Amino acid sequence: MTSTLNPKKPVLKMDNVCKNFGGVIAADKIALELYGGEIFGLIGPNGAGKTTLLNLITGIYQSDDGEMFLLDKNITKVPTHRRARLGIARTFQHPRLLNRCDIKTNILMGSDLANKRKIKGGKLEEDMNMLLKCAGLQNVNLSDSIEKLSYGQQKMLEIVRALLCEPAVLLLDEPAAGLNTKEMDYIVALIKVAVQKDIAVLLIEHAMDLVMGICDRLTVLNFGHQIATGTPTEIQSNEEVIKAYLGGSCNVKS
Amino acid sequence: MKERFKSIRLTNVVIVAAIFLLCMLIPSQTSSYMLRVLNIAMITYLCVLSVYVLLGMCGQNSFAQAGLWGIGAYITANVVMKLGYSSITAFIISVIGTALFTFVIGFAFFRLRMYYFTFATVGLMTILNGLFMNWKEATGGALGISNIPEFRVGGFVANTETSKYFVILATVVLISLSLKFLFHSPLGRSFMAIRDNEIAANCLGINSLLTKSIAFAISGALCGAAGALYAFLSGYLSYQSFTYQQSTMYLIMIMLGGTISPVGAVIGTLIISLLQEWVRPLQNYMQLIYGAGIMILMIVQPEGILGGGKVIYDKYIKPKKTSTKNG
Amino acid sequence: MNLQLLISGTSMGFVYGLIAMGMVLIFRSVGIMNFAQGEFLMFGGYICYMFNRIFNIPIGISLILSSLIMGVVGAIFMRTAYWPLRKAQSKAIIVSAMGASIVLKEGARIIWGSIPVSMDKVADGTAKVSTASIQWQYVAIIVIAAFLMALVYILLEKTFIGHIMQATAQDQYMASLIGIPVIVSIGLTFALSAMITGVGGGLLAPIFFLNNTMGMTSGAKAFAAIVIGGFGSVPGAIIGGLIVGLVEAFGGAYISTTYQLVLIYIVLVLVLMVRPQGIFGDRIQEKA
Repeated sequence: MTSTLNPKKPVLKMDNVCKNFGGVIAADKIALELYGGEIFGLIGPNGAGKTTLLNLITGIYQSDDGEMFLLDKNITKVPTHRRARLGIARTFQHPRLLNRCDIKTNILMGSDLANKRKIKGGKLEEDMNMLLKCAGLQNVNLSDSIEKLSYGQQKMLEIVRALLCEPAVLLLDEPAAGLNTKEMDYIVALIKVAVQKDIAVLLIEHAMDLVMGICDRLTVLNFGHQIATGTPTEIQSNEEVIKAYLGGSCNVKS
Repeated sequence: MKERFKSIRLTNVVIVAAIFLLCMLIPSQTSSYMLRVLNIAMITYLCVLSVYVLLGMCGQNSFAQAGLWGIGAYITANVVMKLGYSSITAFIISVIGTALFTFVIGFAFFRLRMYYFTFATVGLMTILNGLFMNWKEATGGALGISNIPEFRVGGFVANTETSKYFVILATVVLISLSLKFLFHSPLGRSFMAIRDNEIAANCLGINSLLTKSIAFAISGALCGAAGALYAFLSGYLSYQSFTYQQSTMYLIMIMLGGTISPVGAVIGTLIISLLQEWVRPLQNYMQLIYGAGIMILMIVQPEGILGGGKVIYDKYIKPKKTSTKNG
Repeated sequence: MNLQLLISGTSMGFVYGLIAMGMVLIFRSVGIMNFAQGEFLMFGGYICYMFNRIFNIPIGISLILSSLIMGVVGAIFMRTAYWPLRKAQSKAIIVSAMGASIVLKEGARIIWGSIPVSMDKVADGTAKVSTASIQWQYVAIIVIAAFLMALVYILLEKTFIGHIMQATAQDQYMASLIGIPVIVSIGLTFALSAMITGVGGGLLAPIFFLNNTMGMTSGAKAFAAIVIGGFGSVPGAIIGGLIVGLVEAFGGAYISTTYQLVLIYIVLVLVLMVRPQGIFGDRIQEKA
């Protein structure tokens, strides 16, 4: 899967997006282009502004400056729920499911959205079973409460829910954090499904082997700055990146 | 599996039939005073149900429910007495009118975050009560409205306690059943999504302002229906019925019953209504016992009676069932 | 006329400020809106009445004694209505506080009867300023309430106990890890809250007669004060109290006394619509 010279139009485009919280710069002139069927990694040290970026994309935070486009539509001022209906789905660092509802209700939330967007699959049951199988959840009882699921299963369920929305862009916030290797494999399988469906996947992750292994391109954030963007090999040899991860300020040139 | 399905069906049918029979037998077995208590309790149940929709399903707490109940009642009284419309029309106008009012208010109030909405509803309740007390043209002011005609449709006039009982019962059952559909609809799911996690709900394409306003409007419609029934039942309306304390009573009832299911509303309403009747002979200490009872029940069972029941069910009964299924 | 209204409005405002401050202290400590705070005012008033009229103790000492007893009542309230439910959802605590407020109200009725009672003023007589006649009691209320507010401020900001209470309010778990007995600390907060509110009752009683339902209305006004001033903010509670007191006084004089409470709540709703977090409240940003 090639990337840098993708002839397709970008699904999501961010242009000079800025955000600061009372002087703390959380996003500084972020420019990104995501293409369908691509896995785009977003890495950076803790507090680099990765989750903030997701919150900007989903509209939970309003950007101070810059513009965002989803499939050529300017979504800079569009509220969160409208963006979701336009095709942005996300998961959270800590799963945010409906804790007092059963598993089935949780999953159906995703297809509700797809229905609202008038995407009639008509094969909800089939899709759901396929996704649940990919997530290793085929044996759970759908009428059980969410609390019966392990932390990893909850994270997986969140991705299943997001995929059932039939999104154009899927934002994953540290899907593998706190999971064991087997569960990681399920996550990769789910991401692969997303790629097959031509969804643009934005992946925030700390597990480097996972990121370097599956991402087509990635960008490195530090203190809200985009210090490098490129293919995994390019990033791995980038000096700024190494500095950001190994310590030392970017401004001090020794 | 199929057999189990069948047996559940059968027990359900038996339970429903038993309840039906009980409801049919009650009027002939109880005094008309007790029947009046039950009628009031059923109307209260509708209001508690409105709190269930808003709080139990959508996670928003309102203290204005008694005021909305009052709006429904005064609309009915005015439509029947001043405009001379039929009972059914008055009922429908009450429901729709209250729902519309609540929807507009909700649209303004839900711009407030978290508990600030609740505060605003306390304000709304007080304002409404002041309005009921002072707006002589529409509410009769402090004197109230009396001699509201009974509910009549065609040749049928609900002028005895028993006939009123059946009218109210039928409405209550119809409304409860339609709530069941709401519970399993996408709209109901979006209520619950907002209750459990508003940001995640937004990310799933739910317009929280609109959805919360709809939830508030549905609860308003329930209160409007309750108000219309109350106007027909009692024939007399006074601002003293529609107070903030009444609203807090609804919250107490739903919390005692449990917010996880409409059944909690039934249990809570029955317990408080009957508790009030049972401690009535103690006269002087009635309210004291009532207050202490609420505290104790809350401390013993913070999730409500239904919540406590569910814990017991999950712990003791459910494991047995699954083990027999596997074995 | 206007000066008279200004003084009476301000003094009532200070009393509402005291109740509101008590509510805010509890809110900051345990994150719960205390729906029984108004009953503290009523109960404190009755205890003061008991000392003053039944035991014939001078009003000044009665106020101090009643305040101390209210401290105990506050601690008991915390132990019974809040502590067993501290891990439950906040709705459950609100309901149990409602139960407690019924108990306090009915308790007062059973102990002291339902006939409104009165007691001695702290300061008798009236002062004449041009055409206005001002009751000295109003001035006394302002002085005492302001003094109490300053005292609470010093207690919380400058003393060791105050620091313990603030630490517990900010993070109970952390506080217990560094050796603060959380139950004592929260108990003290409830006691302090009940004490200042109780004094308010003793101050109001000579002007308006005491009865067992006054807690409800004053509580409702103090509640409005908090929301107007900004939820959780102590200066907000005081300013909000003043606004409520003045709206009540001037609204009652110029518009209608029957609409007093309605007016206050119209102000509340208006403030919320214009500035959703109240005057001094922090802007709420939900964490994503």
